[in-house]
Amino acid sequence: MGEFWNAYTETLPQEKLQNIEFSYFKNLLAFAKANSELYKDKLKGINTEDIKTFADIKKIPFTYKEELRKWQEDVEPFPYGGLLGIDIANVSSFRQTSGTTGKPVYVPESYESWQWRIESWCHILYMAGFRPRHRVFLPFGYNVYVAFWEAHYAAEKIGCEVVPGGALDTKGRVNKILELKANAMCGTPTYLLNIAQEAMSMGIDPKTLGIERALGAGEPLPEATRKRIEATYNCKMYDHIGSTETCGFAGMCEAQQGLHIVEPFFLVELLDKDTLSKEVAEGELGVIVITPLGRRSFPVIRFNTNDVAVKGPSTCECGRTSQKLMEIVGRVDDISKIRGVLFSPKTVEQLIRSEFPEIVEYELVVTREDIMDKITLRMEADPKLSRDEVEEVAKRLGERHKIKTNLSCKVVVEPPGTLPRYDLKAKRFKDMRGKH
Amino acid sequence: MDEIRNEILNIEKSAERLKALAKDNNAIRKNAEIILTFLYILKFITPTADTGA
Repeated sequence: MGEFWNAYTETLPQEKLQNIEFSYFKNLLAFAKANSELYKDKLKGINTEDIKTFADIKKIPFTYKEELRKWQEDVEPFPYGGLLGIDIANVSSFRQTSGTTGKPVYVPESYESWQWRIESWCHILYMAGFRPRHRVFLPFGYNVYVAFWEAHYAAEKIGCEVVPGGALDTKGRVNKILELKANAMCGTPTYLLNIAQEAMSMGIDPKTLGIERALGAGEPLPEATRKRIEATYNCKMYDHIGSTETCGFAGMCEAQQGLHIVEPFFLVELLDKDTLSKEVAEGELGVIVITPLGRRSFPVIRFNTNDVAVKGPSTCECGRTSQKLMEIVGRVDDISKIRGVLFSPKTVEQLIRSEFPEIVEYELVVTREDIMDKITLRMEADPKLSRDEVEEVAKRLGERHKIKTNLSCKVVVEPPGTLPRYDLKAKRFKDMRGKH
Repeated sequence: MDEIRNEILNIEKSAERLKALAKDNNAIRKNAEIILTFLYILKFITPTADTGA
């Protein structure tokens, strides 16, 4: 271990990284207050010169996704509104959020900001062992979403050979991987499993595709799913976290123990869920609040991601000194109460990926009948299983679900190919309470 | 790292001068601007550890 993309910044002592980030934070704050309509308004009563110590950062209010939407609606210049930090003539590319939680946010990137994002992503790919010898296949639709555009350009910058796998169906992508002997991939965990499933239906063992390593994006990657992908392809599977608003800000190194924050590109705060005022201690759960420190086209300060993670150490066997996130637990919104019990869809994903290799796809639907919440777990089994075997899997799944979540559910077996497949963010949890 | 930082500043001066010299030539001016973009990134990834300046 001990190979770095930037041997200087990746091994600086944490205290020095904090000084650098504080200095970058102050620069960005002054820039945003002078150039972004959103922050001219938001920082009205705040003198940026009063931010003198690292602790003073907490005086700056959070930025929420709803505000980003509000400052774009009917605010000139179209379509970015008050979020722009630069002259619109200098915007060189358009991206947008997926709209999973509401109206999409349109994100302007200048050439400078985009290259800054790519530089940050180079750290993520390099940490995951991507090198010039890799031919990287990107099974992605190349559309308005940022996912994988960053991977594409960062892989190029590192020196990999990139194969853009857009405009192909899954079968076409399997054939292209084989034809070109691609040996690395990036994709949503769901879609990497779908590709493997498609390969199997074509009579091809995914292990023979030659994929040596893969990087997940766009969805949480529970450890059980990560291991399942590794076993399916006989490859090394890595994770990263990011979003359109924040950029990719943390990635997994070869030690595969948590995600390193890409410092000093990002100031990441992990704050206690209840008060959002204190940094949590190592091993504790915190809400991720993030500031991308060098992006000027779209300044975002103390963005409350609503994602919850476990704070890790700033030491690692790989030699990096950046802060780590040990586990991304999910979105604050995803953790809901069902029949009075706290429920996280990630628990069910962990269960299925670790104990039920026979289940090809699944979906969780929560409905309310009279006053009673009901969970239906729809599943598709491997088509090679007999009817008796499928029934046994369904019965066992219902029992294990009850043990893991303290909630009973109705398991429904669906015919092969019935449930939706996703190549971007999977939507396997559908809370229909209050929608009928 | 100091030597690297000094070199980045030298290139920045040259790129600024190139940009000014080529104000009537789109191609040269744009390429000089692109050099300046990468200099922004080079400065970002070579901060002074004590001050971040």
